[in-house]
Amino acid sequence: MSYKISVDTGGTFTDVIVSDESGNENIGKALTTTNRIFDGMRNALKSAAFDRDISLEELLSAGKLLIYGTTRATNAIITESVAKTAFITTKGFPDTLVVKEGGKYNPHDFSSDFPTPYIARHNTFELEERIDSLGNQVIPFNYNQALDLCKEINRRGFKAVAVCFLWSIANSDHEKEMARILSDNLPDLPYTLSHELIPVVREYRRASATAIDASLKPLMQSHLYDLEKDLRCSGYSGDILVSTIAGGCSDIKSLIDKPIYTVNSGPAMAPIAGLEFSKLEGCGEDIIVCDTGGTTFDVGLVRDGNLAFTRDTWLGQPYIGHLLGISSVDVRSVGAGGGSIAWVDEGGLMRIGPNSAGAQPGPACYGQGGTDATVSDAAAILGYLNPDFFLGGQMTLDVKAAEKSIELIANKINLSSHLTAWKILTLSSDLMMKAISDITINEGFDPREGSIVAGGGAAGINIMNIAKELGCHRVIIPKLASALSASGMQFADIVAEETLSLVTTSESFDFEGVNNVLCKLQNKLEAFKASMTLYSDVPYEIDYIAEARYIGQVWELDTPLPNKRFLQQSDLKSFVDKFHHVHQRVFEVRDEGSPVEIMSWKARLSIKLDIVKSYNSDVTKAELPSFSQKRNCWFGGLEPISTPIYKGSDIPVGSVIKGPAVIEEPSTTIVVYPNMVTKISISGNYIIDILEK
Amino acid sequence: MIFEKISNSIEESKIDPFMTAILANRMDGIIREMTNTLLRAARSAVISSARDFSCAICTADNQLLASAEGLPIHIFGSHLQTKTMCELHDGDINEGDCFLHNDPYSGNTHAADHTFLVPVFFEGEHFFTAVAKAHQADIGNAAPTTYMAAAKDQYEEGALIFPAVRIQRNYKMIDDVVRMCRSRVRVPSQWYGDFLAGIGSARIGERRLKELCKKYGKETIKQFIDHWLDYSEERMCHAIQKLPKSELFNSGAHDPFGELLPDGIPLKVTLKIDPEKALIDLDLLDHPPNVDCGFNQSEACASASVIAGVFNSIDPTVPRNSGSFRRIILHLKDGAVVGKPKFPHSCSIATTNIADRLINITQAAFAQLGDGWGLAEGGVGLGAGFAVVSGNDHRVDGKPYVNQLHIASNGGPAGPTSDGWITYAIPVVGGLMYRDSVEIDELKHPMQFHYLRLVTGSGGAGKYRGAPGQEVAYGPIKEDMNAIWPCDGTHFAPQGVRGGNHGKKCSHFIVRSDGQEEELPNMVVVRISKGEFIRGNQSGGGGYGDPFERDPNRVLKDVIESYETIERANKIYGVYFHGSLADNTLTVDKEATKEFRKK
Repeated sequence: MSYKISVDTGGTFTDVIVSDESGNENIGKALTTTNRIFDGMRNALKSAAFDRDISLEELLSAGKLLIYGTTRATNAIITESVAKTAFITTKGFPDTLVVKEGGKYNPHDFSSDFPTPYIARHNTFELEERIDSLGNQVIPFNYNQALDLCKEINRRGFKAVAVCFLWSIANSDHEKEMARILSDNLPDLPYTLSHELIPVVREYRRASATAIDASLKPLMQSHLYDLEKDLRCSGYSGDILVSTIAGGCSDIKSLIDKPIYTVNSGPAMAPIAGLEFSKLEGCGEDIIVCDTGGTTFDVGLVRDGNLAFTRDTWLGQPYIGHLLGISSVDVRSVGAGGGSIAWVDEGGLMRIGPNSAGAQPGPACYGQGGTDATVSDAAAILGYLNPDFFLGGQMTLDVKAAEKSIELIANKINLSSHLTAWKILTLSSDLMMKAISDITINEGFDPREGSIVAGGGAAGINIMNIAKELGCHRVIIPKLASALSASGMQFADIVAEETLSLVTTSESFDFEGVNNVLCKLQNKLEAFKASMTLYSDVPYEIDYIAEARYIGQVWELDTPLPNKRFLQQSDLKSFVDKFHHVHQRVFEVRDEGSPVEIMSWKARLSIKLDIVKSYNSDVTKAELPSFSQKRNCWFGGLEPISTPIYKGSDIPVGSVIKGPAVIEEPSTTIVVYPNMVTKISISGNYIIDILEK
Repeated sequence: MIFEKISNSIEESKIDPFMTAILANRMDGIIREMTNTLLRAARSAVISSARDFSCAICTADNQLLASAEGLPIHIFGSHLQTKTMCELHDGDINEGDCFLHNDPYSGNTHAADHTFLVPVFFEGEHFFTAVAKAHQADIGNAAPTTYMAAAKDQYEEGALIFPAVRIQRNYKMIDDVVRMCRSRVRVPSQWYGDFLAGIGSARIGERRLKELCKKYGKETIKQFIDHWLDYSEERMCHAIQKLPKSELFNSGAHDPFGELLPDGIPLKVTLKIDPEKALIDLDLLDHPPNVDCGFNQSEACASASVIAGVFNSIDPTVPRNSGSFRRIILHLKDGAVVGKPKFPHSCSIATTNIADRLINITQAAFAQLGDGWGLAEGGVGLGAGFAVVSGNDHRVDGKPYVNQLHIASNGGPAGPTSDGWITYAIPVVGGLMYRDSVEIDELKHPMQFHYLRLVTGSGGAGKYRGAPGQEVAYGPIKEDMNAIWPCDGTHFAPQGVRGGNHGKKCSHFIVRSDGQEEELPNMVVVRISKGEFIRGNQSGGGGYGDPFERDPNRVLKDVIESYETIERANKIYGVYFHGSLADNTLTVDKEATKEFRKK
């Protein structure tokens, strides 16, 4: 027996999923240990091994591949504990990281200070040099000043350097020169060059990504090497890969070179899981993937089997946080979850959030002293949560406290507690629905034509209602819903991505230049592939994508190249047609009279890693399982409905359960609303059909 | 002017707390979708990069219902424009229509804001009008700028004016209008791309509003409209009831303008705050008659700017719509420079210069209520950082280009709890707009920047400091480039309040190829040749409160981060230090600071 192990170290829990050659998967969970990540990982691995009746040592020694997902980089940024980093920029332009791209939420709110830049102004150094937009040198690189700068960087004890010059993407000589001087004078100091990491136009995007990447280098290097050492010491001899925000995984060495790709990598795995579950269940390749936690609701998208990517991922709030800039799996996060607080404002309107009860004190029903009414309290009052079986029995819910908290709201709006709770839940669903609309409708994706895959501990409470509002007919809640990211890692490919900038238009298309760029991209990726010696026989693909727009526009759309090279006029024509198609899909209009301008070219290598799954369990005829008990649940009516409660483990595959019903899994609760039906697939996932009335 | 329908007894009107919240959430989503469409599909940088546009939804009876994320100056007035549409086309407004409106005498801000109005029908009944308003890169004015400061009247301004002119019937384009614009507007392909994006945005709004009506039914939607406006009014009442009863007066002025306005334009606002009646009365009657240049306020701009000044001074979460506006009584004079303009006086720069000053004096008036109220004045002036540049691009066979830059910002005002916002731009946009990227501007125009940076010590000192202004220098790389801008704030600095200092004033120079510098006036029309460049700085925001009361640790941070110099920290803030900046050992000398601040 050999195993594939995926590990997702979240802020609170470390999730492990172990799969074997026959496709059997199981989960292990333990608390994350921030001081030494491996301790928590070992506990989670132990629990997974225990379920398989083997020892931790047996599991590790039979492990063939381990995929590691980490929030180490994300946390270091949030807690501002990254390396002391110097930012070297073109003389005259010191404030790129301060002014960002502008923008603000509320034009009338003057109650906050302007956010501080990722690298402080006093750690910013201006170097005399200048390249223009055509790549010409306007001001020569000042060698002596660069030497002095190295001395200053050394004297002030910087641990990393980020270099971003204007137009380094048109001519990288000056950044390379700076790199050479840094290597010669400060050989141990890690640095990042903007044209290498993220060759796209717009200096803030490049500078921000470069600064983030450089600042992570020292700590991610030690983190990943330490982890590798710990694993080896524990008897693991298989391969180790790390998940990335590019929607795949990569080897440790590559990520020490570009640690920015480990930021937010956990959420980026959920859409991969969504795609696999949907394919497995025959629910198509247009999928909305939701991950519901206690405080955040993450939404991702899969269209035609492809993940959605964006360069607009912010750490923190848009405009005031820090832009990642690199092409990353598009996952939007909104502050809505079980802990969101419900309130009535002074105009008499019901509101949910943005304040959250968080983990401490948590919702009132947790009985830890919380008094504000939260979405979880509403669910508790409506009878959806089993007070004695919450989190698989790890916690007993204080329903009295929940009632008390909801009553405060009910009194304000003159409704019964149950009706109030129902409305709180519905309103919170509506806010989540809007988050889904933002990523679907705004990108030209009709949710009525897709399926939803929902994960996270709180997914099963209201995802069906959200689906119904969106007009989406099918929801899948995987058996392993509570570990969606770790599930995604099980299916992730090895992914590497390279970008080069070459601006050209369909009017005067630079065939030779573009083909050269595409060749360069291919060579780079094939060199990477060759370095992955363990996977030399594994099939791989390289996809090419142009970041293109109508001439005069400023925002690009990712347009896949129909052909790998532009050999003749017809290749250009089919590409331009493809662009019109993409533009029409996203913006409802096309402008066929307008030339298309391409800003940069991306290539994406994927090496397929998935173990072929087979589900050999014979399904006996669907039968109605027996329920363990009945409980009064409210579904918006004045009176409760006596509702059957099922234990997940008691339900045979192939069963069909009609709503209203509640299904209790150890780490999640699934509410099947009236007029909805769920069936349990052969692979043990819940497939819910939302019926039209 | 009194807004119609002041509800006398708010207590009686009970809203549905739940359905109102749901539908308000949906309205917000619809406007976001409209906004996203316009931003990403537009061609000119002023829209697609800088976000100089706003989307709104009005009701069939011409009340402003929702305006999420809209610019303060754009928001008020959409309903005046839909009213014009209803009056001019009475009996002939149908599904599939789209109207273009940019007439400053019948509800628009200024001629450069092309506004697309799409009436939304459900079951044959006109329910809403979807509104998308976007500042154009060019509108066919006499000179290549959308800001004709010197225009004697509308004829000299030269804009094509569309008083709610139908541009689509039955969802089909009326090509006559398109041809008219194409024959007149500079860089017509850029204009047409923006035109399509504007219509697309309003049409998206239409489609989503119809879906909403279908889903919830007419009655629920009608009830929502009433409830949402009542709710917003109720929120406004609560906000006003928190203010002390008072009568405030404040004055200011726009910079002088050549020989025409040697003393500038004096501005005055009187505010009566009545918490018992929950009303704010804004009196703008004391203003001189219309001037023979482009500075005159349109009704929309005069109203929007003082209302923005009020919203800046109260709970910022009160919704901005006709419901909350019911609690504001506004007095405007016909034919006054601040009031309702008299044809053919030009309103070409109505959205910025005087409007910026009106916001400033209104929010600064609130500071008279005491510590904790109001704001300082924000940095003003559309200087070199906001120039409209034009010329021919040698890189693409001499094709013409014209566009407004948004590259260097004025500093935001300090408030009672925080320092000014650095990417504030100007008061009328309140920091909402995006800024250009240096690289994108160099890519799109044959120009090169020499520097772009914050100016140390330019923010008005105070307990809370105004944000510093930015300075910028640029010139053409080969062919001559025209730059036009209507600056303010070169004579009258943005003022501090409650003992806070004023911010640094704007200033501009042209640097000739031999290095000689000539200072430029505030209203600039300049041709720059190869080897020459423009340099200038935007203004800093005003400070709030006595600089001696500023937390010394904030001053220390300002010095370390070069927002302030050590000299200014000593002299103006009375903060002294141990150690040295160069060695990274600077700390506050508490004793010396205490001693000095006693004086």
